[in-house]
Amino acid sequence: MPVSRRTALKQVLLVSAGIALLPSCLHTAPASLKLKNLDVNGDDEKMLEELAATIIPTTKTPGAREVKAQQFALTMMDDCFNKEAQQKWTIGMKEFEALCKKKNGHSFVKSTPAERESLLQSLEKEDASKVPAAHFYQVTKRLTVQAYTNSEYYLTKVEEYELVPARFHGSIPVKDLTKKTL
Amino acid sequence: MANINTSAKDRTFDAIVIGSGISGGWAAKEFTEKGLKTLVLERGRDVKHLKDYPTTNMYPWEFPHRGEVPEAIKAENPSISRCYAFKEDAMHFFVKDKEHPYIQDKPFDLIRGYQVGGKSLMWARQTQRWSNFDFEGPARDGFAVDWPIRYEDIAPWYSYVEKFVGISGNKDGIPNLPDGEFLPAMDLTRVETYFKDFVAANYKDRHVIYGRCAHLSEPQPIHIEQGRVKCQKRTLCQRGCPFGGYFSSNSSTLPWAEKTGNLTMRPFSVVHSIIYDEKRGKATGVRVVDTNTKEMTEYYANVIFVNAAAVNTNLILLNSVSHRFPQGLGNDSGVLGKYFAFHNYRGHISAQYDGFKDITTDGRRPTSAYLPRFRNVQKQETDFLRGYAAGFNGGRRLTSDDSGFGVGLKDRISNEELGPWYVGSHMMGETIPKEESQLTLDKTSKDEWGIPTVHINVGYDDNDEKMLKDFFEQMTEMYTKAGFTNIKTGDSHQAPGLDIHEMGGVRMGHDPKTSMLNKWNQLHACNNVYVTDGACMTSTSTQNPSLTYMALTARAVDHAVTELKKGNI
Repeated sequence: MPVSRRTALKQVLLVSAGIALLPSCLHTAPASLKLKNLDVNGDDEKMLEELAATIIPTTKTPGAREVKAQQFALTMMDDCFNKEAQQKWTIGMKEFEALCKKKNGHSFVKSTPAERESLLQSLEKEDASKVPAAHFYQVTKRLTVQAYTNSEYYLTKVEEYELVPARFHGSIPVKDLTKKTL
Repeated sequence: MANINTSAKDRTFDAIVIGSGISGGWAAKEFTEKGLKTLVLERGRDVKHLKDYPTTNMYPWEFPHRGEVPEAIKAENPSISRCYAFKEDAMHFFVKDKEHPYIQDKPFDLIRGYQVGGKSLMWARQTQRWSNFDFEGPARDGFAVDWPIRYEDIAPWYSYVEKFVGISGNKDGIPNLPDGEFLPAMDLTRVETYFKDFVAANYKDRHVIYGRCAHLSEPQPIHIEQGRVKCQKRTLCQRGCPFGGYFSSNSSTLPWAEKTGNLTMRPFSVVHSIIYDEKRGKATGVRVVDTNTKEMTEYYANVIFVNAAAVNTNLILLNSVSHRFPQGLGNDSGVLGKYFAFHNYRGHISAQYDGFKDITTDGRRPTSAYLPRFRNVQKQETDFLRGYAAGFNGGRRLTSDDSGFGVGLKDRISNEELGPWYVGSHMMGETIPKEESQLTLDKTSKDEWGIPTVHINVGYDDNDEKMLKDFFEQMTEMYTKAGFTNIKTGDSHQAPGLDIHEMGGVRMGHDPKTSMLNKWNQLHACNNVYVTDGACMTSTSTQNPSLTYMALTARAVDHAVTELKKGNI
């Protein structure tokens, strides 16, 4: 009982915080999906899309953009991470943008592919436990990979997920595997 | 006032079964097949086979969180959120902590399924027989009380239920894990076969076998007649199986009972208490609260089976007070609610094996290998009582190097490679039922249906800690000698309950002074009430208990019907 009351209180506080923030959000479009906890707007979502597309680019085959990895990342961050993790991630997102502006002179969305890659390369070398922008990048990358490898495209065209395998062989030569399946 | 709409005659049956899970389903099948008009009371909603498995054919990408449970649900329901099967695809079959509170005097994660079929929908389907090393355990080692039955009493009933359920297994010839009526086993993996051979060659009394499980590897006519077909190895069992490939009340015993025309299923019916007739010295029926209308209605029958799952079976009996039984139905001895126990699942170990690089597995398998108990079997040999069984599972996973980003990363995750063979085990330790391990009713707090809240007071003891240490030592030794590397042991420190093998409180025994039930699962002091779910267990063994509940239930119904005909109950 005490737990639920505390949770309920927290939700009330969050809602009122959201309302208080509303006026400042009016300049920019809201995110395309309804978020319960995250303070993320349409510009942030666009940046996430470009970041995901840099992590897993579109080539001859679909990449993160085609599987809408940014929407999955937002859904997961909004629903499946606790408040502390959400705050860490959104703080990291702001620092990521600030770092981009400092390095490239403009936002990530306005950066050229080369500028984006150079930013990510520099963050790859950072300690994610100490640098908020690197933390944001690593968490977003994990969610992007999860979105991609669990997408309909990947699980039907790359490594087929079989809903009804109807077989189990405990010991077969690797060379006799007809397909890689999950 | 609640009974104005229907006459007492309409609410009178030959038998009442409280609960529709794995044991209640069996009671329903046996009673209805023997021609008794049977009322099955289920506190949750109805779940019809095929019709009510909403996620069963969903692909991974169709789940918004790819299987994960949202944080808000976890925060509100910490106990159920720790259950391995409480995931996005099956969480609708589990009771949320918040909806049905209970009081943890010590940490206890109570895992419940309030629906027709109960937890038989989501169980892990392991079906190992118990042996006389289990039934004679308390007497030999001086704990609890002597079981009033031996393996010979239950063996024919194991066979009886196994044939109907469909058990995939091998005849292994192990004295402390008797063979049964088996459908063909599925494959062991290459590394599991290797470890099996290694253990056989290096340890006299240790075995690695294929874990017997309730899956139709090769359906027989009796299974086809139930409408079930061959297991398709989807390993999505917890969602409910459209093939009836594994056994559940929903796919098997309940539809079978329904076909007899003798079954009345009443969902949304929580049993408040059992009615005791002081003059006749018998139970005459039950008081049921409709969970929607909160109206109380009485139902009557000549015989009552309590199969509400261990904790709730205790609760119902404790709440069934009368002039004759002020401490709960049949509780002259004061042992009701006491000697509650569980299985110790805290220990796990993992490693890898670098051989068999050119071999792998193909498809999926709904069971694993199994190490029957090897400690203190023939005689006491360690500084702790009893022992543990262990699962054993080995396979290969597709992996990729997820470093970097861009075309290189995309290429790597699109061309995953087979990793080395992994192996892993978890322990299933017998715990000792103790008087202080007890369920009681709260004196003041009640749920919204007017039923007292239950206190659960059970914890680990020194014997459990010693056994855990031995599991780590013995498994590490076997893994090391077998050439496994990168060995890691871990203690989950999980609370009791998460094993979902809670047992006892209404134990069987010879003596009414120290036990609740006789050798036929009848209350010593009220012989038309039977308890055949986990609550009846005198000790816990190491084997998964569901098969034993099913066999005890079929045996007890047979007894009850014979006694009814003789006019003895």
